Amino acid sequence: MSAHAYLLLTLAFYSVGLVQTVMHVVTRRPLLGPATVAATLVGFALHTASLSLRWMEAGHFPALGLHDGASFLAWATVLVFLLTYLRTRLDALGLAVFPAAFALVLIAALTRPGPGVPPAVAGLFLPLHALLAFFGYAALFLASALGALYLIQEYELKARAPSRFYYLVPSLERCDTLAAQSVAVGFALLTLAIVTGLLWSYEARGRYWTGDAKEWSALVAWGLYILLLVARRRTGWGGRRAALLGIAGFAAVVFTFVWMAIFPGVAGAQR
Amino acid sequence: MRSDSLPSLLIVGVSHRTAPLEVREALVFPRGELADALHALRAQAGLHEAMILSTCNRVELYGREGEAPAGDALQSFLHGYHGRLPELPASCVYRLAGADAVRHAFRVAASLESMVIGEPQILGQVKEAYHTAEAAGTLGPTLGALRNRSLSAAKRVRHETGIGRNAVSISHVAVELARKIFGELKDKNVLLVGAGKMSELAARRLVREGARATVVGGRTFERAAELAAALGGQAVPLEALRSELAIADVVISGTGAPQTIIKTDDVESARRSTVARGRHRRPLFLIDIAVPRDIEAGVARLDGVFLYDLDDLRSVADANLRERRKEASAAEALVEREVREFLDWQRSLDAVPLVTELRRRAEEIRRAELARLRQRLGPLTREQEEALEAATSAIVNKLLHSPTVHLKEAARAGEGEEQVGLIRKLLGL
Repeated sequence: MSAHAYLLLTLAFYSVGLVQTVMHVVTRRPLLGPATVAATLVGFALHTASLSLRWMEAGHFPALGLHDGASFLAWATVLVFLLTYLRTRLDALGLAVFPAAFALVLIAALTRPGPGVPPAVAGLFLPLHALLAFFGYAALFLASALGALYLIQEYELKARAPSRFYYLVPSLERCDTLAAQSVAVGFALLTLAIVTGLLWSYEARGRYWTGDAKEWSALVAWGLYILLLVARRRTGWGGRRAALLGIAGFAAVVFTFVWMAIFPGVAGAQR
Repeated sequence: MRSDSLPSLLIVGVSHRTAPLEVREALVFPRGELADALHALRAQAGLHEAMILSTCNRVELYGREGEAPAGDALQSFLHGYHGRLPELPASCVYRLAGADAVRHAFRVAASLESMVIGEPQILGQVKEAYHTAEAAGTLGPTLGALRNRSLSAAKRVRHETGIGRNAVSISHVAVELARKIFGELKDKNVLLVGAGKMSELAARRLVREGARATVVGGRTFERAAELAAALGGQAVPLEALRSELAIADVVISGTGAPQTIIKTDDVESARRSTVARGRHRRPLFLIDIAVPRDIEAGVARLDGVFLYDLDDLRSVADANLRERRKEASAAEALVEREVREFLDWQRSLDAVPLVTELRRRAEEIRRAELARLRQRLGPLTREQEEALEAATSAIVNKLLHSPTVHLKEAARAGEGEEQVGLIRKLLGL
């Protein structure tokens, strides 16, 4: 089977989680039954197979362009989610993860891999940079999702009239604590990703900094997160403002990813 | 499916669905009289087994009939025991038998028949009723099995559906909200302003989950000190209210004061004080159960502050109750499955006497043949003896395996009686 066939199968298995999520919101039955977890694990295995095949097909680490980027980001997100779920048993994260993973794999399934990438992308720094960046994105995505859950829960509690989400979302404290942990992990990965990205850029283009929009937005995201971390530590910030800042930081991350996905050439080749 | 598979089980009773409070309260069995009542019931109605479930919402007599039908006897016992009602209106009483009685027993234990659906007390009450019957010696195999299966089904309902998930009493809602805000309540500071009954109830629940209580005394400091001692906390005078606000996580206010005693400014300055800042601006949960209210409504606008008054708590309780009703259908399905399993199992028991007899007979034949063989062969070595035992036992077991399985299955499918008769005839049992 081709990488693309595996990807379609992956999509089918991830759709179990998506359907479960919708059912969960409507019926409020526990989200992650054993069947959903199993389907997600199978989907993840197929996804891994798809990525491995794609790596062989492409001849370089498949992380550039919309097709490869979306697929790889979905893979990292699902992995980070599964690991988090094992530790926290937090169903509600699925509300963010399943739709996102499904959408990303769908994008990957609907797009063709970009044309061959110049030899500049060969070498160790690209896979390293991509791995760090994508796992960082995944952790920061979870952080922003937790921030969103925090805001929803806070709104519900302030409104004093519980509706749908009141019953789904974990406690404020739990969202806040986990978001802080996710940001810490995501920030560390993002920092390393930026460093390896600079090194790679130097190796590929002879310049550390090209002034590309992606580089600027990564820097903005990094700045926002360092602000968040310092504010949390020094002034005991947390709760709503931390959630909002985490979401803002993630918006910059999304921009970075989208820019990379749409203009991989800028990242991959000399200008 | 045959519904007469448990012809002997009978339930007669009244409940909040069929009878008004005047009727129910006239029929309640006081706890101390239960053992005597059970004996009297068993004797008067000619029952093999008896159990009485008496709560404020239902009074039910459970029985396994003897040879004669006991429905009328149960009903007249229910009416006659207390002698408090001139007559028992027939429309108030329900009478259930066989599979219907089994289903009812399961549903009651699972809190599907409760006034507040999903309420947890009924499980304990049912458990105790069976326990009393057991202690009185009126519980036998049928009611004993009914107890085991209905209670385990009730526990499954509790764990696997959301029927009991959300709080429906005011004090419980307050605790649940605290959990929604703080996650864990361990080491959280609860400040009680005023020492009312409902604040005490909510505070008790919070303390049970590890929170620390502080009681602010009003005009009567003794009352505050008393309550603080009961909650394992400390009492402070009213002047300390502001400083206590700065370190509190949950405030429960329920004084009889005619005007508000916690103002927006108080809370704001408490939140801004260094103590609060050192505590990472954690959320503050204010519960105002006083009428007229103790806490200024403007407090709710402050960042990270959650204010609930009595009406708010009540509306959450109502919303939770609606949630429970939605979950009830899942619970109904689960109970129905468990009831069916129980009935199937009960029917498969019809085959047990014959299976036992069959095995006993086969074993008799085997031993007799072995004894004869030994006489003919003379003394055997131990190995030979063991081999002979093993071989003959294996023959018996293999021959009987398929009829045993078949009989149990036939009984489960409700075709037991004919087949049992046939096999008896064939084997001359």
